[in-house]
Amino acid sequence: MSPMLSSTLLFALGIGTTITFASSHWFLAWMGLEINTLAILPLMAQYHHPRAVEATLKYFLTQATAASTLLFATTTNAWLTGQWDIQHMTHPLPATLFTLALALKVGLAPLHIWLPEVLQGLDLGTGLIMSTWQKLAPFALLIQIYPANSTLLIILGLASTLVGGWGGLNQTQLRKILAYSSVAHLGWMVLVLQFSPALTLLTLLMYLIMTFSTFLAFKLTNATNINALATAWTKAPALTALMPLVLLSLGGLPPLSGFMPKWLILQELSKQDLALTATLAALTALLSLYFYLRLSYAMALTMFPNTPTGTPPWRFQSSQVTFPLAISVTATLMLLPLTPTITALLTS
Amino acid sequence: MSLPRITRLPPVRLLSSIYHHHCQQLLLPSITPLTVPRRTVVQNEYRRPGQPKEDKWPWQKMNFGLSKGLEGIKKHFTLMKKEFSDTWVGPEGKPVLEHMLEQNRVVCEFRNPEDLEQWTVSSDREIGGQSEVYLKLGKYNTCFLYGTLCSAPPKDGETRYSGYCTMRSKQQLSSLDRKKHYDWTSFNTLHLRVRGDGRPWMISIGTETYFSHQKDDLYCYFLYTRGGPYWQDVKIPFSKFFLTHRGRIQDDQHPLWLDKVNTVGFTLGDKADGPFQLEIDYIGVCKDYAHTEEFAYELYKRNPEV
Repeated sequence: MSPMLSSTLLFALGIGTTITFASSHWFLAWMGLEINTLAILPLMAQYHHPRAVEATLKYFLTQATAASTLLFATTTNAWLTGQWDIQHMTHPLPATLFTLALALKVGLAPLHIWLPEVLQGLDLGTGLIMSTWQKLAPFALLIQIYPANSTLLIILGLASTLVGGWGGLNQTQLRKILAYSSVAHLGWMVLVLQFSPALTLLTLLMYLIMTFSTFLAFKLTNATNINALATAWTKAPALTALMPLVLLSLGGLPPLSGFMPKWLILQELSKQDLALTATLAALTALLSLYFYLRLSYAMALTMFPNTPTGTPPWRFQSSQVTFPLAISVTATLMLLPLTPTITALLTS
Repeated sequence: MSLPRITRLPPVRLLSSIYHHHCQQLLLPSITPLTVPRRTVVQNEYRRPGQPKEDKWPWQKMNFGLSKGLEGIKKHFTLMKKEFSDTWVGPEGKPVLEHMLEQNRVVCEFRNPEDLEQWTVSSDREIGGQSEVYLKLGKYNTCFLYGTLCSAPPKDGETRYSGYCTMRSKQQLSSLDRKKHYDWTSFNTLHLRVRGDGRPWMISIGTETYFSHQKDDLYCYFLYTRGGPYWQDVKIPFSKFFLTHRGRIQDDQHPLWLDKVNTVGFTLGDKADGPFQLEIDYIGVCKDYAHTEEFAYELYKRNPEV
C-alpha cells in the first residue's frame, strides 16, 4: 500500500476515535465508530490474501451489525426521551440495546465469537491496531452512559472472563490466544464499569500497554504459533528473557503492572458487597494464567528437543523499530509501585 | 480450455428462425439452448457438459425415510460428543504438549477400504474425453491410482485440449456437516512416500475459500516421480506452492496459509497418452527446522510508481 494511502487510513482511524471521544451527540459518536470501522477495513485486506479477506469480511459484518444496533438504540432513546445527549440515556430498553451493541463491537462474551477468527486472519501489525486502538472508542461511550444495566454488565463481565480463560486453553495459534486474552480483559473492565469508570479506564490503559508489548514482541520474533516461540531465543535472547514477565503481567501476577487493575477491581467489588462476583472473576483469571504460563514455558523455560544447535538463524539488525517495544515492556513490568499515585490521579 | 458457451450462442430469435426454416444447423446436438450454465463467480452447482439434465426437483431426489433420519441423528450426535470430549484433551483431540513437540504427522494413510472413501477421482471423461482413472487399495495396503490417459479432445467443437486425471481428497466434515480444516501451522513441509512410473504429477492443496469467493484457487507444485520398484520420499516445503486459479498460475502470488487446509490432490496432465499408475504409501507433514524460506517466489509490485 502506498505511504499516502496508509497514512490517510491511519489518520482516518485517529479521526474516528477522536470524533467519538469528543462527541456529546449520539449521532456524532456513531459516525466516529463508523469512520473507524471503514478506515481499518482496507488496512486489514491490503495483502489480498484469502484469509485476510475472510477476516475483513467477518469484521465488517459484525461491526456493521453492532453499529446498526447502536443507531437503533440511540434513535429509540431519542424517540422515548426526546433528546440525543449521550450522558442522558435513561430509558432501560435502549440502554440495554446500546450495551449489547457495544459488547458486540469490542467482543465481549457471548458476542465474542468473531474476534479469534478475525485476529487469526490478520498480520500482527494490523492485529495490534485492532486489539488496542479499536477498543478505545466503544469504551469511551460505555464509560459515559449512566449504568442502568447493572445485572447485564455483571453477566457480560463474568461470561467474558470465563470464556476468555476457557477458550484460550485449547489454542496453539498466538493470535487466537491474544484474542481470548482480550475477551478476558474486557470482562474485567466491564465488571467494574458501573462502580468505578475510572478503574475501567485504568484497566483499559494497562491492557493496551501490555497487549502492545506482546504484539510487538511477537512481530519482532515473527512468531504466530507456540512452536515458533520455541526458537525465539535464537532471534532475540534479551526479549525472550523478558517476555515471560510480560505474559505473567498479562496474567495479573504481582509484582508486575498487570496486577494493579485486577487488585483494585477486586477491592472495589468487595466494597460493593459483590464478594462472590469477585471470587468468580479471580478464579477465572487462573484459566487465563494457565495459557500465559504455557507460552512462557514454550518461550523461555524449555529447550525443545530438536533445536538446531548448529544452525541458529542469523541475527540481523531488525528492521522493526524497537524503541516503542522497550518503553511498553518497561511500563508492563514496572508500574505497580506507582499504584498510589495512579489511584490518586483517578480519584481526583 | 473451452470458452464459455454462452458467448458463442446466437440470440434466441435467430435460433427459432433456424429451427423453423430447417436451415443449416448451426448448433450441434449436444448443446441445449437456454439451459447452458453460465460461469459465475459464486459457488453454484455446475452441470458438466455431457451429464444428463436435472429433471427432478430437489425434494424428489431426497430420501425422507425414518431409518435414514435416525442414522443421521446418531452419526451427528456421535461426532458432536467426540468434539466435546476432544476439547477436554486438547486442540484437535491431542494434548498441547503433543502439538508443541510433534515434528511429523501422518495425514493420510491407506490401510483400509474406508480410507479410499475419503478420496474422489476424476478425469476428462466428464467433459467428453477418453481418459480413464481408477482407485483401489494396492497390494501392500497402499493407495493405487491407475488408468489410461488420452489427450484426444472431446468432439464438441469447442474444447481444444484434454487429457487429465486427478485424485482429490474429499472435504472433511465434522458434526452437523460443518467443514473441518487441517491445521498444519506447526509444519512447513509436505512429505509423501510414493512410487510412480516416471510421470510428472501436480500436487494441489486447497484451502478455505468460502469468504474469498475464489473456490477454484489451488496451491500447486510438481511431483516428479522416479519410476522403478523403489519407493520415493518426496519432501516439498509449503513455501514452494504457488497459487493457481482454474489451472492458471496467478500474477498476484502469496504464500500458502496452513491453518485452514481443506483438500490435497494429485493431477496428471502430461500429454503423454497411455497407461499410468501412482502408488501412495502415506501423505504426511513435517517440520524442517533448516528450511526458513517464507515464500519461494518474487512478490514483485505489478504497477510500480515510476
